[in-house]
Amino acid sequence: MANNKSAVLVCTCGKQLQLDYELIKNAVSKMKLAASVTVHDLVCQEEGLAKISELIDKHDGRVVIAACTNQKLQPRIDEYLKSDGKNSTQLQYVNIREHSAWVHENQEEATRKSIDMIRGVLARSAGSTLRQVEKKNVPSHVTIVGGGIAGIEAALSLSNLGYDVTLIELEEELGGHVIHLPVVAPTDKSGKEILAGRLDALQKNKGINVMTKTRVKFVEGEMGSFTVHYTTDGDEDEKTIGTSAIVMATGFREFKPTMMDEYRYGKNPDVLTQFELSCMLSEGALARPSDGEEVKDIVMVQCVGSRNEEYKRDCSKLCCTFAIDNSLSIIERVPDAKIRVIYMDIRVPFEHEMIYKESRDKGVDYIRGRISRVWEKDGKTHVQFYDSLLNQYFEVTPDLVVLSSAILPPDGTRELSETLGYLIEDDGHIKELYGKLRRNETRRRGVVAVGGVTRPQFVSEAVTDAQAGALMLHTELQGGSIESVARGAVLNVDDCVGCSLCAQQCPRGVPLMIEQTDIEEEDEEQKFVFIASIDTLLCHACGVCQSLCPTGATQLNFLSNEQLWSEIEATLEGAGPDYPITLCFYCEECSVSTIDIVGTRKMNYPASTRLIPVPCAGRVSIIDILKALESGASTVMIAACETDRCHIGGTGNEIAQVQVDVAREILTAIGWKGKRVDMFRMFSAEPERFTTAINEMVKRAKELGPTPVHQGTSGKWMEASK
Amino acid sequence: MVEVKTLVSNPVLVIGAGVAGLTAATQLADFGIRTVLVDRLPIVGGNAMDLYKAFPTDDCSYCFEGSRLRPGIRKCFYRSAILDQPNIDLKVNTEVTEISGSPGKFQAKLSVGPQYIDSKKCIMCGLCIECSNAFCLPSPQCQPQAVIYDPEMSDEGAKKAEEECPTKAINLGAQPSEETIQVSDIVIATGYHEMKPVSIDEYGYGKIPNVVTQLELAQILDPNGKSGGALVRPSDGGQVKRVMMVQCVGSRDENYYPFCSKICCVYALKHANIITLERDGTQVTVVYMDIRTYDRHERYYRVARDAGVRFVRGRVSRLEACADGTLDIIAYDSLLDKYLKFNVDLFVLSSALEPPKGSAELIESLSLHPASGFVGPADLTSENAVVAADHVYVCGAATGPAEIPESVTQARAVVSMILQSRK
Repeated sequence: MANNKSAVLVCTCGKQLQLDYELIKNAVSKMKLAASVTVHDLVCQEEGLAKISELIDKHDGRVVIAACTNQKLQPRIDEYLKSDGKNSTQLQYVNIREHSAWVHENQEEATRKSIDMIRGVLARSAGSTLRQVEKKNVPSHVTIVGGGIAGIEAALSLSNLGYDVTLIELEEELGGHVIHLPVVAPTDKSGKEILAGRLDALQKNKGINVMTKTRVKFVEGEMGSFTVHYTTDGDEDEKTIGTSAIVMATGFREFKPTMMDEYRYGKNPDVLTQFELSCMLSEGALARPSDGEEVKDIVMVQCVGSRNEEYKRDCSKLCCTFAIDNSLSIIERVPDAKIRVIYMDIRVPFEHEMIYKESRDKGVDYIRGRISRVWEKDGKTHVQFYDSLLNQYFEVTPDLVVLSSAILPPDGTRELSETLGYLIEDDGHIKELYGKLRRNETRRRGVVAVGGVTRPQFVSEAVTDAQAGALMLHTELQGGSIESVARGAVLNVDDCVGCSLCAQQCPRGVPLMIEQTDIEEEDEEQKFVFIASIDTLLCHACGVCQSLCPTGATQLNFLSNEQLWSEIEATLEGAGPDYPITLCFYCEECSVSTIDIVGTRKMNYPASTRLIPVPCAGRVSIIDILKALESGASTVMIAACETDRCHIGGTGNEIAQVQVDVAREILTAIGWKGKRVDMFRMFSAEPERFTTAINEMVKRAKELGPTPVHQGTSGKWMEASK
Repeated sequence: MVEVKTLVSNPVLVIGAGVAGLTAATQLADFGIRTVLVDRLPIVGGNAMDLYKAFPTDDCSYCFEGSRLRPGIRKCFYRSAILDQPNIDLKVNTEVTEISGSPGKFQAKLSVGPQYIDSKKCIMCGLCIECSNAFCLPSPQCQPQAVIYDPEMSDEGAKKAEEECPTKAINLGAQPSEETIQVSDIVIATGYHEMKPVSIDEYGYGKIPNVVTQLELAQILDPNGKSGGALVRPSDGGQVKRVMMVQCVGSRDENYYPFCSKICCVYALKHANIITLERDGTQVTVVYMDIRTYDRHERYYRVARDAGVRFVRGRVSRLEACADGTLDIIAYDSLLDKYLKFNVDLFVLSSALEPPKGSAELIESLSLHPASGFVGPADLTSENAVVAADHVYVCGAATGPAEIPESVTQARAVVSMILQSRK
């Protein structure tokens, strides 16, 4: 490489950091990859930012900044440089404040650590490449699967945001469940009234193509170039549409409790589900199905199939409100109707409580207990129930038994997941990307899920969900012209052996396996039938594919294998038995936050530690771990996010756990102590998780003593036999 | 036509910088829309900052979502760089005192408190904190990442700090100011307030130190808090062995708030589980009317029962403070039809979530529909919860008690609607 030297800018934090800056300056200026060293008092302020800009010009973008946490500094620097017309993609950061000066009392040791980490990052910087903004045009078209309230609202929102929309509905009529609701709390309006304005808008909108009686078979491709395969009733031929993104709005399915013998559903015509009662009420035909007689006495049963280990463990959320809505509808028609609701807990959120109260005031009887059985005798339906407050059994003969049946995911959710690549929750609904903050998105980029298909939702929630889901696709598609700095995995196709590990394990489902159809017959023996393809613009840059790729075909364009290995080597220069070093790879998600907060709180831990950032713990491969030991580390730890809390939306931390486990096995097999490597989970609300972990690894480094590398006996089966 | 263009270039005013307001402001900013984000407190984050762990993910409450400009699914709050977001003008210590004008062309009068600290300049070096107790870092996660200054605590050291601050970020002589801005849209994201149940005599809140609310309990359990996460009695710092929680304090109660506060069951059980599973040897009893763990939150109820949390369906009928700091409690169990006697160290009230101060005035000045004191939708028929009036939107707990994920979804819906209106 012609010039791989970097300028180093070291910040004193307003002369407040207890580090020996003379020593740092001297040491760094002697490093072979350092082009220059500047000590500055306030890198984050105007003058410091100007200095960075100046150094970027002088050193072709290769600048190493040793200052406070880049998690705070980088956005400011990036913004400044952007407005200054500079490219900041090659800047590298070393945290000498939260990760060194603030957490070590011994100035000499903290200085030494800072110098080592600057040396390491200089090596990373030497291998860095400039990244540019890339552009990609995609069709400004979105396909919505499901024409209930959520699908309709998503269609209107996306159309208003400038997209062409295809709305696909399985049934003949749009409107899903909502169109059959006699009244929707707390609006006092029927489902038809709530949908009317929207159906009207849909009809007038030329940008929305509605296809009813149509079934989506499967989907190919990725965000920006999906192909939807579908069939329409009465037409055998499978057809396709090209689209950039997909909204799953397939709603829910009401549980039909035919297998629950105690309720006689499906056997006694006067036993209905709550939704069947809704349909009856909205059609204005409240009558006994068995003989068309008047309905005066009704028993409703809550939690049929819900909160039940066999059918649905969780609460279906909507059924209490539905039962109350329907009770009030009945009383409006038959003022002297007797309605009993048998329940475990009445669950009505916020102002629905007031409708619950209204129903009690109007005479609906709520009985805490369970139904013991339903049977028919003398042409009547008999119900026996247990009242847990009175500790008594009762028997009644209602005209109707209405079961508030569980809300289940719609049919076909799992089948479509195979080609759409979203994940499925334990309960069969579509799994959100991240439960607290990213409910509308799925694991797969370009696929959002809104409305009942993700969880039971009230009408207003489904509407909000659809509007939000539309925004998330708009954020992704940017009106059809995607523009972004390509920061992520880059695949060298020539090195791909078609093993598909990347495609299987990518947390966001980005790599696609492409069939090699154009290979000549004669290479049949050697050809790979499939090879991977990765669109860097869609990549979330975690590096899981890189750590798994057996040939190094896929590598992050900001952290290649060579970059990380040279950083490990340079950071550990001089690491030996006298001052045993613990090397910590930390993910730049929860771990960096935890370590930064440990710094901000000035919690102490030993300075014989060296920290190397990786985008996700899943980026660390077995080789990276072994390289660290080979370069002189005494122990190696990986700091990762908590179980099930992967920031990429998948399993980066679990991949890391596998790498650590295998590394330990390899070490044990070649006669090392496996305990020299370990992984720890953390998040910043509990900063002591990091200090506990690193203290443990420093302790092990001391207790286990010199490694075979330190003793010059590695590979000679020494450590285990000792 | 020209008139319309100048209108839409006007910024959006987001009132309240909690989860909902921050999400709305940053998403709007990402789409190039200028946003004025105001909060009456010196730091942003709202109630979420004080939750320690949040449901449904049980990780820190102070995550911040990633976006196009901040790649990644979520970031820690201290990394959100609110001050460095282009298009966001953050005004802390600021209240909206008056709104006039017409939809699309509102005039909002802001009362801006003294800006003692220039947050953009503060580097958190700690020098001022060493000089004087008037300065403090409210939390390691706080946003803006800057110290705050309390003029009531001012001393000689504060002057020294002002002089020596390496970035000259301190201005002790700062004065309050007023300004009027013109905005096209208003987003109400004023959140909720946890009711301080001082007026409910029977629970002794405000008189007996070992009676706390759920939000106060979250603070005790927070490892970044005073006790380092140990469950201790506020009265004497002694270890808590027995806890009683009581649900629906002020909620579902015609004397206070007739509505259900919706999320208290979930966070009470979240706390009960943390205490039972992660704090050794503590027994938790929950007194309730109905346990309302909607949807997948049912998991908290399952875990709680498996962990040995005791549930009493009924009401607390008497509470008495003992000399040793414990509390004698008599509760009526409606399933057993019996009165039960308990002795506990800590009594936790799942207090109602009420509209924050100023809600009524805001609703009146913009002629909005109130929903039990919160902000209701403009049009009841459309079920469009986030549209409060023409060019006025609402999201998060300003619509009524809401979870973090709901607040985020609603904030996104608001941004979606604003963008749709500008296409």
